[in-house]
Amino acid sequence: MTPKNILKYAYYPGCSLHASAGEYDLSTRELFKKLNIGLTEVPDWFCCGATPAHNVDELLSLSLCAKNLELAEQVDGDLAVACAACFSRLKTTQHVLGESDVKRKQVEKAIDAPVPLNGNVKHLLDILARDLGLERLEQAVTKPLAGLKVACYYGCLLTRPNDVPNLDCVEAPTIMEDVLKAVGAETVAWSHRLECCGANFTLSRPGVVVQLSHAILDSAKSAGADCIMVACPLCHGNLDIRQKEIEGVYSTQYAMPVFYITQLVGLAAGLGADKLGLDALIVNPMPLLKQKQLL
Amino acid sequence: MSRIGVFICHCGENISRTVDVERVAAQVGTLPGVAFSTDYKYMCSDPGQGLLKKAIQEQRLSHVVVAACSPRMHEKTFRKAVESAGLNPFLCEMANIREHCSWVHEDRDEATAKAIEIVGMMVERVKKNRVLPTITVPVTKRSLVIGGGIAGIQAALDIADAGHEVVLVEREPSIGGHMAQLSETFPTLDCSQCIMTPKMVDVANHPRIKLYTYAEIEHVEGYIGNFQVTVRKKARSVDEDKCTGCGVCMTKCPVKKIPNKFDQNLGMRPAIYVPFPQAVPNTPVIDRENCTKFKTGKCGVCQKVCGPGAVDYEQEDQLIVEPVGAIVVATGFDLYSIEEKPKGSAIKGYGEFGHGKIPDVIDGMTFERLASASGPTGGKILRPSDGREPKQIVFIQCVGSRAREKGISYCSKICCMYTAKHTMLYHHKVHDGQAYVFFMDARTPGKSYDEFWRRSIEEEEAVYIRGMVSRLYQKGNKIVVMGSDIAVGVQVEIEADMVVLATAVQPQKGADTLAQKLGISYDKYHFYSEAHAKLRPVECATAGIYLAGACQGPKDIPDTVSQASAAAAKVMTLFAKDKLEREPIVARVREAGCVGCFYCQKVCPYGAVEEKEIRDRQGNLVKVVAYVNPGVCGGCGTCQATCPSKSVELDGYTDEQIVAMIESL
Ligand code: SF4
Ligand code: SF4
Repeated sequence: MTPKNILKYAYYPGCSLHASAGEYDLSTRELFKKLNIGLTEVPDWFCCGATPAHNVDELLSLSLCAKNLELAEQVDGDLAVACAACFSRLKTTQHVLGESDVKRKQVEKAIDAPVPLNGNVKHLLDILARDLGLERLEQAVTKPLAGLKVACYYGCLLTRPNDVPNLDCVEAPTIMEDVLKAVGAETVAWSHRLECCGANFTLSRPGVVVQLSHAILDSAKSAGADCIMVACPLCHGNLDIRQKEIEGVYSTQYAMPVFYITQLVGLAAGLGADKLGLDALIVNPMPLLKQKQLL
Repeated sequence: MSRIGVFICHCGENISRTVDVERVAAQVGTLPGVAFSTDYKYMCSDPGQGLLKKAIQEQRLSHVVVAACSPRMHEKTFRKAVESAGLNPFLCEMANIREHCSWVHEDRDEATAKAIEIVGMMVERVKKNRVLPTITVPVTKRSLVIGGGIAGIQAALDIADAGHEVVLVEREPSIGGHMAQLSETFPTLDCSQCIMTPKMVDVANHPRIKLYTYAEIEHVEGYIGNFQVTVRKKARSVDEDKCTGCGVCMTKCPVKKIPNKFDQNLGMRPAIYVPFPQAVPNTPVIDRENCTKFKTGKCGVCQKVCGPGAVDYEQEDQLIVEPVGAIVVATGFDLYSIEEKPKGSAIKGYGEFGHGKIPDVIDGMTFERLASASGPTGGKILRPSDGREPKQIVFIQCVGSRAREKGISYCSKICCMYTAKHTMLYHHKVHDGQAYVFFMDARTPGKSYDEFWRRSIEEEEAVYIRGMVSRLYQKGNKIVVMGSDIAVGVQVEIEADMVVLATAVQPQKGADTLAQKLGISYDKYHFYSEAHAKLRPVECATAGIYLAGACQGPKDIPDTVSQASAAAAKVMTLFAKDKLEREPIVARVREAGCVGCFYCQKVCPYGAVEEKEIRDRQGNLVKVVAYVNPGVCGGCGTCQATCPSKSVELDGYTDEQIVAMIESL
């Protein structure tokens, strides 16, 4: 039993956090250290299959996640997940296998182990907003993000499919806004919070991504946002890495920094730029952060 | 020694598919006291009942057990058959081997064994049944109708025209309900006010209708034929007898800016008001929450200007008891406010549609008020935000309805048709405008309905897009509608000036509380339940209470009026008799054992327990015991469970019988 008030989690970073989204991994670890929340990486974890696997072979995609869930059982505590896609897949697997005995038996045969269906899988947002709680989060703030206008971007996977992740209301969630308000930032009301950015079409049909991500940037900008906050490495890639390209195609200028949730919360908790990996962002956030006197 | 006959029904295949009925018949035939047992395909049919009667006479049966469906279904049927064969009907019991056995089990052997036990228990119980005399009670030939919308109005007029008194109770200050709010009605486009207001006047003038508006049901007691209903007549602050309806008070009231609920809050009204000019009665009411006199003690203008001196700030709520024999419930519907996530409910709300946030996203009823000649814009379709005429208008159907994932899975039934009507009204009023409709299916099975729907497309040029909308957002002074067209397989975005949501039909708020007062059942959405979906669609399972209109499920005007007349016909059938026969399953007190603690009196939900004095021959009081009035007793058995000295028992359910049933297992 974990004593009350001491939070401990098994941590599933997912492939992106060990590669293109290294700054998400870094800022997550640093923030949790700062907040006294234990994170132990799941030993030998591997890819959850993300979006490709379940398009090709359902059994494969379920088995990949089931095996990871089984590995996570070795570590004490609920499973903390950073990436929206990993989160959605792990939750979907629990849901699907919980509904179908037939599929569960197939998967258990494939991984040669029972699937832990009742283990809690939690997105970082859930941990910050509910396990730690907004009140304690507020107390941890040393540098409130006053005056920073943030467009909270959920993307399509964080709350969906319906009834599966149960993170928040599927179509009108507020959890990101709640967390950001707790650390003193201002959040804007905007239209494209839950629209798709194009996700992994970024490799096969970049044209689609440019169009969809442009709509998101445009909407955030016209709502008066200074920056966008995301909770998914894929969203981040499309909005941040492709931003220059989008500006070129649409002959416009956004210069809109795209932060991970842990970077903004970390900033408020007093972590420095080096511990948050801010230098890894493609759209340079320094001018904005300096202007708002946050660095 | 009893000679019991047992009759096992196959129920077509419903029972015999899982239960080996022949084996059951053979097995129970050997039980002590059973003289005859047989099985038949449809026991309730004419030959089935014939078989039962013949056996009673030929075998000189003393008791009967019919093993078939639930007693709720056919107990009456079989008791009647038994009676016609010359046996007291209460010597017949049913063993439920369908709902309690064949329908819920798969294994044939196990189900058969269980069926044998169920029948065996009933054999033990019926042995100890007594001959019971039928109880008759008088009928009060007056009816209560709850709700003064079109359903309540129709039912009240029909019953009153048949010569019976009616008490009509309406919660709002005027009768008329939602129909009075509508502009024109499908499928003929006649104006709602023109067909509605004359009926409202008929109600007001009818010599046999007693109308209470601004009143609610406080409390209901009694049973079929003999209800006592307490009506709370809320303080109107205006004396209905003195008021002439001149309206001076309303023009002089300095408080002017209260959103008028009748106009979906688009128009304004004073603190003393009638909801709309054609209101019945035409007597104003003071909205005490907003009245300066009630808030601060100052003002009092209306009292000063009122010629006949009708304004009365001291008036209080009145409680009036009305004896009635039947009740028609016609409380109607409300539209789902999709911006709300009702607390403690599975219903999830639609924050993504911006209703309540984006002023030009309105619901269907608000559009009705805009289109109505007597509405806040005088019948012009204008945007609530800036009063401009919308040139691009989007209608979205099934908002909240048929959305299992959002908590409501039923179809609201009226939206396809009223949206088609809206596109027509719009086209008639805004000639250069364009209407778009997002829809899942068009459900138009009523008489002349599909023709009407086609007309909105073919003649009135509405563009129908098959698909749903994911999100609405404000962009400048436009509303962007993001949706999909599944017929073509593309995403669509329309920049609209106004969006009209066909939000789901829900029962009135407080429907559950009223149901609890009346003792009627309701479904998970709080629509009232009819006794049988097909064969008893206007009766409640509670005798003497009938349903009319949308309180039972979404309904359009023709269906509502039909059901209201049907409910009225049922009331008249009841009133055609002078006395009612009641089931004699009532509690009886064993006076020798009664210690006079009167716990039973405290727990009886029907108020049936009275005090009775026992005197000796000299007239000296020996003790006071409980007495159950058989006319009032509802046969619930609560007293039996409570009595510490085991001195009160329900016929047919005595402790002795229940123990015998258990021991048979
Ligand atoms: S002024 Fe008096 S009589 Fe006239 S409508 Fe008002 S209350 Fe009735
Ligand atoms: S007392 Fe004054 S505020 Fe109240 S209803 Fe009469 S006129 Fe209006």
